[in-house]
Amino acid sequence: MTTARGKTIFLWTLVMISVVVLSAPTLVVLGASFTAGNMITFPPQGLSLKWYASIAQATDLREAFLRSLYVALICTLVAIPVGTLAGIALAKYAVRFEKALQIYLLLPFTIPLIGSGIGLMLIFGNAGILGQLWPVGIACCVINLPFMIWAVTASAGSLDPDLELAAANCGAPPLQTFLLVTLPAVTPGVITGSLLMFILALNEFLVSLLLVDARIVTLPVQIYNSIRSIITPDLAAISVVFIGCAALAITILDRLVGLDVFLKSK
Amino acid sequence: MRAYPLTWRLLDVLETGLEKVFPRRLAGITPYLMLAPAVLLVGLLVLGLFQVADGSLRTLDTTTFLMSESYSLDNFRRALSEPLFRNVAVKSFAGSLIVTAMTLVLALPYAYVMVRTKSAALRKILLIALFLPFFIGQVVRAYGWLIILGNQGLVNEALSFLGIGPFRLIYNYPAVLFGLIQYMLPFAVLMLAPAVTAIPEETEAAAESLGANWIQTFIHVVLPMARPGFVGAGLVVMTLSLTDFAIPAILGGGSQDFIANAIYDQFFRTSDQGLGATLALLLVAAGSTLVAIVFALVGTGTLQMGRAKQ
Repeated sequence: MTTARGKTIFLWTLVMISVVVLSAPTLVVLGASFTAGNMITFPPQGLSLKWYASIAQATDLREAFLRSLYVALICTLVAIPVGTLAGIALAKYAVRFEKALQIYLLLPFTIPLIGSGIGLMLIFGNAGILGQLWPVGIACCVINLPFMIWAVTASAGSLDPDLELAAANCGAPPLQTFLLVTLPAVTPGVITGSLLMFILALNEFLVSLLLVDARIVTLPVQIYNSIRSIITPDLAAISVVFIGCAALAITILDRLVGLDVFLKSK
Repeated sequence: MRAYPLTWRLLDVLETGLEKVFPRRLAGITPYLMLAPAVLLVGLLVLGLFQVADGSLRTLDTTTFLMSESYSLDNFRRALSEPLFRNVAVKSFAGSLIVTAMTLVLALPYAYVMVRTKSAALRKILLIALFLPFFIGQVVRAYGWLIILGNQGLVNEALSFLGIGPFRLIYNYPAVLFGLIQYMLPFAVLMLAPAVTAIPEETEAAAESLGANWIQTFIHVVLPMARPGFVGAGLVVMTLSLTDFAIPAILGGGSQDFIANAIYDQFFRTSDQGLGATLALLLVAAGSTLVAIVFALVGTGTLQMGRAKQ
């Protein structure tokens, strides 16, 4: 047990348990979407694409998916300028009350989601915009904003301030320095951040559940409402859309910035 | 003239425009202007909390189903005295403690192997196994568990093949805890990994060359040095699992409510907004106290967003 071999066996047993537990639901949903039966059974009743054909016909699922895309798009479009500016400001300038500002900007993470969601529901209700889709996008942006700011500050921190001084020294006015030196340097962070914002808004469930009504359900809410009644494989087929989006996001993230960035020590 | 490209002209126009609306002597407030949109956006949450606080002071008139005009502390008395809410709170707190402990136990070896492995391919596989569920969302994951563990799910079907079962594997407390551990694991590993990266491999080698076996090295070197990561990961796992809604709702089937489910029910089933707001406010207070204690004791740690300390 205390040998090097014992260490390998011990660590690997735990890691394998984790990998199985992490991957099992994804793999099972993938498998279930290809079943030929009407129910999800073991052993599977053969392969077919009929559930994909059935979701292609289901307008309610398609519309719910389009609404989720719309929400994610609004969220990302708002988060990019807001988070980028805030991230650069925090990374580059010595601001007054820096500590308090940081804690304030971390509020979306420290306030429980149900609290944030209900608060936003009450505000949007008073403003008379509850029942529209764009406030859901704004809400998703607010609750995930720290992710965007983190991603940008991480990039901006690795930008040498001398580069900006050099640009200014060569005669570049402030806006040019910002657009041609600072912004390109933080682009990897902006890409990472906006991908995170998009995918998290696409999947956002609780805040959506609180802010939408029956006419404008987003896809996670639609799936939630359906699995409470009967579990049929068409839900697995539509869930594969989420798995596909997640896989796509991971691929883009890996290509553009590399997944390894998440292992870097600060 | 051709030497001066169009983009430069455009930039010059923008620059002059900027100079007009924002003269350079105001440069000192630039960072505050850059932070303003984010501060305003997060301000929505603060505004929301004020609304929740306002609601918590109004009681529901059961004859008219309207909220009272006057303020009272009745809701707080009910929230703190009714056994139903006490049970839900105890269940959630105990659950989140168990989930945090189990998640950290699984997360540390994962982070350790992922950081220390020499194989880039293995590292990538472990990273993908982590990000895929993280990016898929809770509802789809919980749906996957229903297919696997449901009464007519894969496990029970397979067991009935062997002539045993069926067992009730979902809609109970352990199922909720299990679902939460699976949900939290990626968060915990991603917060622990940078802390493990920061431990020099030489330190471990030194411990081992002095005669420590790997268990001693792990306990006396790796664990203490990974402490900043444990603080961040533990805090995030604890607060997120304490306040989760989807997993208790789906894998608990309505019988295993956590605090968030109780709040939701007050708003949308009982329609007692005042009591729901009170519970929400108490949850926010409990969560914030937890976070504040940890921040005060060890600082924002890996959660920090500002300039890197040099």
